[in-house]
Amino acid sequence: MAISKLHLLLLLSITLSLHRPVLSDNDEEDNLLAGINSYRTSLNLTTLTHNENAEWLIKETNCAAAPFFFFFPAGDIIETMIRGGKSYVTSPLSFSNDAKKLLVCTGNTVSVFSVATGLQITSLEGHTAPVTTLIVVPASSAAQKIISYCWTASLDGTIRHWDFSGPEILKTIDVQFPIYSMVIPSLLTEPQQIESSKLVAYVSVEDTSLAKQGSKELRGHVRRFNLAKERIRGDNLKETEEPKSLVISPSGEFFGICHKRKIHVWNVPSGGSKNDLPKKMTLHHTKAINAFAFHPTERIIAAGDVTGRVLIWRGFGTRKLALGNQMKKLKTMVDVDNPGVRDEDDAESCTTWHWHSAEVNVLNFSSDGAYLYSGGREGVLVVWLLETGKKKFLPRIGSPLLYFMWSPDPTLCSVVCADNQIHLLKMPSMEILRTISGIKPPPSLPKMYEGLASTVAFDRSSGMAALCTENYCVQLYNLLNDRGMSEVQVCERNHQPGDEITVVVTAVAISLDGSVMSTTEVKLPEGGIGGLVSLKFWESEPDNKAFTLSTVVYEPHKDAGVSAIAFHPTRSMAVSTSFAGDFKIWVSNSDKNQTIKDSSWICHAVGSYKKKPMTAASFSGDGTVLAVAAENVITLWNPDKNILLSVLGANHAPITKLCFVGKSELLVAASHFSKPELSVWNTSKLSLSWSYGLRIEAVTSAVDSSAFAVLALIPETFKKGKSKKNIFRGRDGAILLFNGSDPKPVSIWTVMKAEGGSISFLEADKSQLRLAYVNGSHEYVVFDPNSDETHERSAIDYEGLAGHEETTGDVGYASLYGQLPDYEKKRMEDSESLVTPLVSSERPWETIFSGSTLNFPPLQKLCAEFFESLMEKRTTVVE
Amino acid sequence: MAEELRVRLNDHPVSKIFPVKPKSTAKPFSESETPDSRYWSSFKPQSIPDFTPPISAFAFSPIHPHSFAVAHSATVSIFKSQTLSSSRRFSCPDVVSSVCFRSDGALLAAADISGLVHVFDIRERMALRRLSSHKAPVRFVKYPFLDKLHLVSGGDDAVVNYWDVAGQTVISNFLGHKDYVRCGDCSPVDDSVFITGSYDHTVKVWDARVDNSKWIAEINHGSPVEDVVYLPSGGMIATAGLNSVKVWDLIGGGKMVCSMESHNKTVTSLCVGRMGGDQGGENRIVSVSLDGYMKVFDYGRAKVTYSMSFPAALTSVGLSPDCSTRVIGGANGKVFAGKKKVKDAGEGEKKSLSLWSVKSDESRRRALRPTNFRYFQRGQGEKPSEGDSLVKEKKGVKLTRHDKLLKKFRHKEALVSVLEEKKPANVVAVMEELVARRKLIKCVMNMEEGELGLLLSFLQRYCTVQRYSGLLMGLTKKVLETRAEDIKGKEEFKGLLRNLKREVNQEIKIQQSLLEIQGVIAPMLRIAGRR
Repeated sequence: MAISKLHLLLLLSITLSLHRPVLSDNDEEDNLLAGINSYRTSLNLTTLTHNENAEWLIKETNCAAAPFFFFFPAGDIIETMIRGGKSYVTSPLSFSNDAKKLLVCTGNTVSVFSVATGLQITSLEGHTAPVTTLIVVPASSAAQKIISYCWTASLDGTIRHWDFSGPEILKTIDVQFPIYSMVIPSLLTEPQQIESSKLVAYVSVEDTSLAKQGSKELRGHVRRFNLAKERIRGDNLKETEEPKSLVISPSGEFFGICHKRKIHVWNVPSGGSKNDLPKKMTLHHTKAINAFAFHPTERIIAAGDVTGRVLIWRGFGTRKLALGNQMKKLKTMVDVDNPGVRDEDDAESCTTWHWHSAEVNVLNFSSDGAYLYSGGREGVLVVWLLETGKKKFLPRIGSPLLYFMWSPDPTLCSVVCADNQIHLLKMPSMEILRTISGIKPPPSLPKMYEGLASTVAFDRSSGMAALCTENYCVQLYNLLNDRGMSEVQVCERNHQPGDEITVVVTAVAISLDGSVMSTTEVKLPEGGIGGLVSLKFWESEPDNKAFTLSTVVYEPHKDAGVSAIAFHPTRSMAVSTSFAGDFKIWVSNSDKNQTIKDSSWICHAVGSYKKKPMTAASFSGDGTVLAVAAENVITLWNPDKNILLSVLGANHAPITKLCFVGKSELLVAASHFSKPELSVWNTSKLSLSWSYGLRIEAVTSAVDSSAFAVLALIPETFKKGKSKKNIFRGRDGAILLFNGSDPKPVSIWTVMKAEGGSISFLEADKSQLRLAYVNGSHEYVVFDPNSDETHERSAIDYEGLAGHEETTGDVGYASLYGQLPDYEKKRMEDSESLVTPLVSSERPWETIFSGSTLNFPPLQKLCAEFFESLMEKRTTVVE
Repeated sequence: MAEELRVRLNDHPVSKIFPVKPKSTAKPFSESETPDSRYWSSFKPQSIPDFTPPISAFAFSPIHPHSFAVAHSATVSIFKSQTLSSSRRFSCPDVVSSVCFRSDGALLAAADISGLVHVFDIRERMALRRLSSHKAPVRFVKYPFLDKLHLVSGGDDAVVNYWDVAGQTVISNFLGHKDYVRCGDCSPVDDSVFITGSYDHTVKVWDARVDNSKWIAEINHGSPVEDVVYLPSGGMIATAGLNSVKVWDLIGGGKMVCSMESHNKTVTSLCVGRMGGDQGGENRIVSVSLDGYMKVFDYGRAKVTYSMSFPAALTSVGLSPDCSTRVIGGANGKVFAGKKKVKDAGEGEKKSLSLWSVKSDESRRRALRPTNFRYFQRGQGEKPSEGDSLVKEKKGVKLTRHDKLLKKFRHKEALVSVLEEKKPANVVAVMEELVARRKLIKCVMNMEEGELGLLLSFLQRYCTVQRYSGLLMGLTKKVLETRAEDIKGKEEFKGLLRNLKREVNQEIKIQQSLLEIQGVIAPMLRIAGRR
């Protein structure tokens, strides 16, 4: 079934470059404007006027050139579009009762991993915003170990009850506030009562009514919620500026939050008296507290502060939290000298342990209460013997620790690191048994390298991406399977916690066949001494994607930094360009002797052009021409003989990206400092074909066709335009697909977090060409840019545009999903209300990737809705 | 899929420690170690006192200790080859041009440029005979292979004489060369056949049994022949003339087999060396030349397999018959002697025998008992048999002292401890690590006097070494700036600073001269590039 329809989806955003009227001179431009305006008036839209000052001209065009075809083959969507790179570390994970499964919150879904293999088994889908809390219903007896129920709470304001062996939703409860944390004490105290009739949860929610602008308002509330009656109690236990995460004692008697320099602890009222409010007590400290934990059996609280101290309060709450009849007796004991306890806090003693040099993020007692685990920014897990304070260490985890969880199996624990890795530990020996490796976050670069580093490279044949990450590593990530494959330690240094950045991997490149990788790293000098740039070539065996170091070149361009690396498409040849004004061509001598072991890369030629800084390089599709950007001109070279062939005219700003377009004679150049520009040159005529004033983050071209795609940042001035504000909700970039020398993009996709993003075509099999986009925080999407295009695009647009649909009503495609009965409406409200995340300061749930493809509504449901929406769409336009 | 899984399971990127490693240095592009280079570079240089030049010839005794004779100016010195010490000395009336041992090593013949040939008894240290017939300087004298009674000599009068030594008479004159006879050799398979090479470009083969004084074969080298040598088979000879060495097949009618022209100046001397001791091993031609190079020529593959440079023009070369000693004479009177470490096979065998006997005795006497520590180690040296599956012990990372200190963040102590080690590459590696931790300058600031002296003496030695200068020059400047007061006051730093200054000045001079050379070369390259 194929339906061809005109559609109003594409927002074609073009700057007609005023300084170089190549595409059109002013008359043509006016003609074009007139054409658009006549069309717009026919659609009853406001007409556009030609504004000389405006950099940007928006053209809403009915994309007649690209009629879309809508197919409904079953299961096609999952195959054609892949999203991934989700964070595993937004909230604590949880083990199943038999310790064979691991449940991890991944964005809007909960992923279930197998402990034995470290691979994903299934996922729980249903939430429409990030899941924040995950509680596995504990088993009270051995027979119940197979029970696999869990509760989840999410920022979409719902609590759901799941059977994760299924997986299926058993129950959905609407709380109406975004939930940041939830505890259910009665699951721990009375595990027999699995039936949810008496279950009471305590939730940490954000009062969205107060969230508008008032930063002073106390938005975070801790409330009691009856899961049976689905009713929230009106009275708040505690109000804070921001929602805090709740911590519950393993016995289920107490729960609490840490707030600035205080820990508030409540005891859970026992028995059926539903109106009993929990009693509260507070412990004080002089520094802000980051994390705390309850002892499983005794009345002990351990807390870690920002300076790295660990405080142990013993015997807390004997006075304030004691049951009513005992309370009177104990009141007499107020004057007793309690060593280390501050003010009039209700604790018997307080001891301080100090080992950590920076903040403590992780605190947890072992299940028998004999040990205390702590960890923080150093990436060292410290095990304290609670009796004596003796320490044991698991060093060199390599990244700040975020959570530590023990499993029902006493020999298995897990540590979650900030670099998106989940390490499973074999317990008494603390060996790392297995690592569930998510995509690692991008490294933080020093100021001078921002925008110059190319930290993502793609292996087009196998669909792998090489991503520079923290700790001088390059992670090889399989985009098609959403799995980390291996890691290459570019610089053999130990992880140094907390210091300023001194060693940076600035560029990574992979050859077209994926057999050679090249990296550059920079050691920043201290007080002007000891700086070092090195270029490394890594080679891999044909069938195994583990790269081994082949050649190190220290100071390839004296002490100047390497600006770009490019590989020859067919031979083992590479070029590196430097800011010092020269480029070097490197060749491998492995052509002669076939063994990889003794192959090495040597300099074949050096070239320079008027001592101008060389900023980008690219080989042509057949490898006969090498284009090197020398500041603002493009020089064309014969790479074999090192002869300057010709020089292409001047751009206005230094060129940062160069790319030959497949087999055609076109060359795409992008520059962004001072004056952003995207220009396309014809190398056979040595002339400029066309140019746009766009700031380009990445350029890629297909090998076999003349298609190329660019990732452009949408300028602020354009985004702030009145009517566009809603269109670009949070999206700062657009992927534009061009074909050949046609200046009109074939298609456009708007994306989020485009800054620092990267795109590439993937050519895993010849039949299918796919485009991969990795955004600035290493989330990615792989999709097919040509066939079935609207389908894909809708899947991306799906989240961002839906919210906009209600306010303007003119971007029709989202209406397709607006009418879905299930959750769409709630989701929209949430996206309005969310302001502050729990963990990171950014807004990861708003990104286009946070949903899974599996989240997509069933196609059978879609089909009818789709036609309906189309019909409605037409009518609204006519009105 | 299964494979991917395995890769993941084996991959534990964490909990690895990286010791501080120096930067890897460039390796030579070609294979560094060949059997030839290993063999020929293993001669350990020995010092021999200088002689008055010229050193015209060496001769090795064919009998075991292989003592050798050095002909230098008018003297012949006999050296013991084990100790390379002079034992005996014979004087001649004029400059000696050639020496030769008799096949039993008892007698020594020496020719001088007054036209005389002397025969000495080595043990009795006396001159036995004086053969005079040549009317011009004698250039070579040689005992036939096993013949003890005759001598062959040739000289600048273009005559080759065959002597009866006992009677001091010339048995036959071989006439035929048209210019000076400079060299000759006797066949290693036949006592009566010998060759002579002359400045008339020819090498002639003579037979003492043929009386008509006509050569039996002749080859033309194409240039004045400086040296000629029989290869061990006796069927081939090697000739040296100008800068070429040629190998000829005598049995095959005097055909040239191969030639080697890798010397830049005249080849002055040749000898045959065997690789790999007494038995087996391939033969090589060793040639020395006025360009100061010794080259080893594999005539089987027609390839120069090893070459070595000496700081003087070379005039003569000699190798002992067992190839354990190599002597090369320079034009300035220096002798470059080299000795191989000889594994004395006989002795080793004896030793092992005695060990064996003692051991068997002992083992019979004492069985290991649990009181002995070795009791608990017994069987650990057992080799695995073929069917056993090996479980290897995990190799830990070896941490040096400075690594351990760096691990504990004791930066200054790490720097001091590595400075004490006297391994410059390691010191620079630690300094680089400290730079990456932003602690180097702080370390320098906190150094005490003695430690500062250590650092200064290190900087003074290595700051101009090209590999380290990038870091060390900057550091030197920083140290001098920040610690100026401490350095100024001390006497012991003065010498260090003076040296430092000298080093830097020297380096600046070198750089300047390099710039000058570059200035000369650059236009030439430009012109060459234009073509």
